[in-house]
Amino acid sequence: MVTSPRRLVLTGFGVLSPIGSTADAFWDALVAGTSGVRTLTLTDCAELPSWIGGEVQGFAPRTLIEKSYRKTLNAMGRTVELGVIGTQLAMQNAGLAKGTVNPQRIGVEFASLMGSTDLNDFAEAAKIASPDGKTVNYEAWGRDGLSKITPLWMLRHLPNMPACHGTILFDMQGPSNTQIPGDPAGLIALAEAARVIRRDAADVMVVGASEGRISPITVCRYNMYMEMSRRNDDPAGAVRPFDRTRDGTVTAEGAAVFTLEALDHARARGATVLAEVVGYASGVDRGCKGPGLARVIRGALAAAGITPADVDHVNAHGTGTTTGDAFEARGIAEVFGRDTPVFAPLSRFGNLGAASALIELACTVLALKYGAVPGTLNHTDPDPACPVAVHTGAPRPVAKPYAVKVSYTTMGQCAAVVVRRWE
Amino acid sequence: MRRRVVITGMGAITPLGHSVPALFASQLAGRTAVGPITHFDARSFPTTFASEVRAFDLGAFVPDPRRFDAHGVNTRFALAAAQQALTEAGLLDPNTGDRARMGVYLGSGEGKENFEVMTTATAAAMEPGAATTNVRAATGFMFRHLNGEYEEYQEMYVPSGELATEFVLEGPFASCQTACAASSQAIGEAAEMVRTGEADVMLAGGSHSMITPLGISGFNLLTALSQRNESPQTASRPFDLTRDGFVIGEGAGLIVLEELESAKARGANILAELTGYGSTADAYRMTDPDPQGKGAIRAMADALRDARLNPADIGYINAHGTSTKANDAAETKGIKAVFGDHAYKVPISSSKSMLGHLIAAAGVVELIITITGLRAGAVPPTINLETPDPECDLDYVPKTARDVRFQHALSNSFGFGGQNVALVVSAFRG
Repeated sequence: MVTSPRRLVLTGFGVLSPIGSTADAFWDALVAGTSGVRTLTLTDCAELPSWIGGEVQGFAPRTLIEKSYRKTLNAMGRTVELGVIGTQLAMQNAGLAKGTVNPQRIGVEFASLMGSTDLNDFAEAAKIASPDGKTVNYEAWGRDGLSKITPLWMLRHLPNMPACHGTILFDMQGPSNTQIPGDPAGLIALAEAARVIRRDAADVMVVGASEGRISPITVCRYNMYMEMSRRNDDPAGAVRPFDRTRDGTVTAEGAAVFTLEALDHARARGATVLAEVVGYASGVDRGCKGPGLARVIRGALAAAGITPADVDHVNAHGTGTTTGDAFEARGIAEVFGRDTPVFAPLSRFGNLGAASALIELACTVLALKYGAVPGTLNHTDPDPACPVAVHTGAPRPVAKPYAVKVSYTTMGQCAAVVVRRWE
Repeated sequence: MRRRVVITGMGAITPLGHSVPALFASQLAGRTAVGPITHFDARSFPTTFASEVRAFDLGAFVPDPRRFDAHGVNTRFALAAAQQALTEAGLLDPNTGDRARMGVYLGSGEGKENFEVMTTATAAAMEPGAATTNVRAATGFMFRHLNGEYEEYQEMYVPSGELATEFVLEGPFASCQTACAASSQAIGEAAEMVRTGEADVMLAGGSHSMITPLGISGFNLLTALSQRNESPQTASRPFDLTRDGFVIGEGAGLIVLEELESAKARGANILAELTGYGSTADAYRMTDPDPQGKGAIRAMADALRDARLNPADIGYINAHGTSTKANDAAETKGIKAVFGDHAYKVPISSSKSMLGHLIAAAGVVELIITITGLRAGAVPPTINLETPDPECDLDYVPKTARDVRFQHALSNSFGFGGQNVALVVSAFRG
């Protein structure tokens, strides 16, 4: 449906994840079958039903950030830090130092959510407003509490700040946007970046996502309304995509950032290509029934000009939730039956929320690059309600040139992207 | 030949009215909606006033309003504005048209955090004399006191998701948050989705409220808000020498963007054509616009080029005009750089002088005002413009509305964080 002479390729990749914070470490962990799900440490969740998840180990923004920008760290919450460092890593990997692209021809599309505040950002103000810990005196908050909060507090958490800092750090003056529609947000960002390049408003787009959501408010909220695994004594075995014994997902943090580039531009500068982006679609499956998701997947295949038989594997969101996995499996099965292997990488590191779709996509991009698809963890007892062929165990060779990435929200907002192995 | 995009429906929930006609009549009359904050007790805050939506009744717009009792006002406002826009477009009935070819693109903000529970939890878990809280205890406290249903509905995908669900818009979706540029960016990118053929109809716009304890606290800490507490109604004074910050507002606006042939085929009433879109980043600072308006200049120039128009073709500019020192000066510089001599001839006004700043919903509501003005042959004034600023020396239509006939107009939106968006709308001609 979308036809254009401008082909689009991924040329750079940066990652900060619970299973590794370089592209190589990330891939090695995927091949080895390592789990990054552990007992949470960034927030003490002992009073919550689920206290496990995926955290980025040893993340040290002060040593990673560009020196000239170090002082700006005090205006960044964890989501912003992860996004900015992730952007640096992707730009390095792509060989795109500041000034190597005309600033007006490079932009950014990020996926992020409102980063919840650290309670200690306003602990003193809270004590002033609520000495009894039961009621809030607004007058005291406004009069005496506010001055106890850092003036930059709000900037630390705004969703558009990862993109904003990226534009400043790398002098990117093209379009800048930030997508917020939950788990598929990264695929929506990728599709929009593709549209920007195809209408010739840029040659290169940073496409990234970050979430630093192991904060007290966020983990508390997720425990209230998301199905969270209670396998606290077996973190690595907790997320069980499409498995009969699955009991929920776990939360996680991290960043995944790509550079998306017009092929003509990538060739002209001799860039290394990771994979080609050949199709995308989105749409809403009201009530999460399955046919709507199938329609979106077919739309992405049609945009890519391929059929299900051309697809090596489907990269599923596979959160390990009871209703979510069943819904996703129905949609995938309607298009692919049981013929196409399904890989659910979230089993390795947990649900990164707004950053989930791009870090999951990264697993497929690397799989196509290295010619091997890692297996899904913890899928041992296939659930008849999930009629798909889940790929488990040792990596299997890539047999076909295309792969499909799927994501969705619990309201049925679905997105799919088709990528092609680069040859 | 690229597909053309027209506007076939509009809806708005604003502090100046809960419909487009009511909003526009208020704008022409120079009425302001600014007054003391009533949503919570803000009397001791540095800023005590805002532009609030009053007497909002979702039941006037959707058949089952109780379903949205636990939702944030961002979702509730959006539903009402969407119902108006789809009704005007003749697309409210879900049996009309191919709903898989109709999508949603919403610029929207975060939901509302439960300030009272967060504050009491944090305080209750502090040891006497400590400066920090016991996170384990505070988290447990919140878990016991928050309402899970309410919290879920504050997720950022919910407002756009509810629009798709309620109105059976099953095609492509997106939702962006680029601060004050969000709804204009949503409209520009949604129009691109129609141009490329990914959708035939996109419901696009924005919805937002930050008139909350943490929202006002955050902006006050950044000293971005006017603190003219003794005279709230004159506090939003774009381009005036004595301006001291913006006035925060809330609300929603949605418009129906439709591919021209689709609109013609079903005999839709075409309100205007969306002809141009430009989007750039300042790459300058987190909170301040580039003082020379560098990014704004390129956004405006790109939008004109996209519309295949010359600067002199533009008959009205709806300015971003926030009433902050930095924005109004930089925007004026930018307009001069793009429009040259014509900058001094074209009427420019700031809807925010009366409405306040609707943040993520600002751009769409201002575009709706622009389109209504295009059709009515009139432009609203910039009220409270009394003391000329030597740096702001253009025709801002001070104080009273003016009859002006124009074919093409430009609407600017510049976001905190350096996102710049300009949109061009034109009178529709076959």
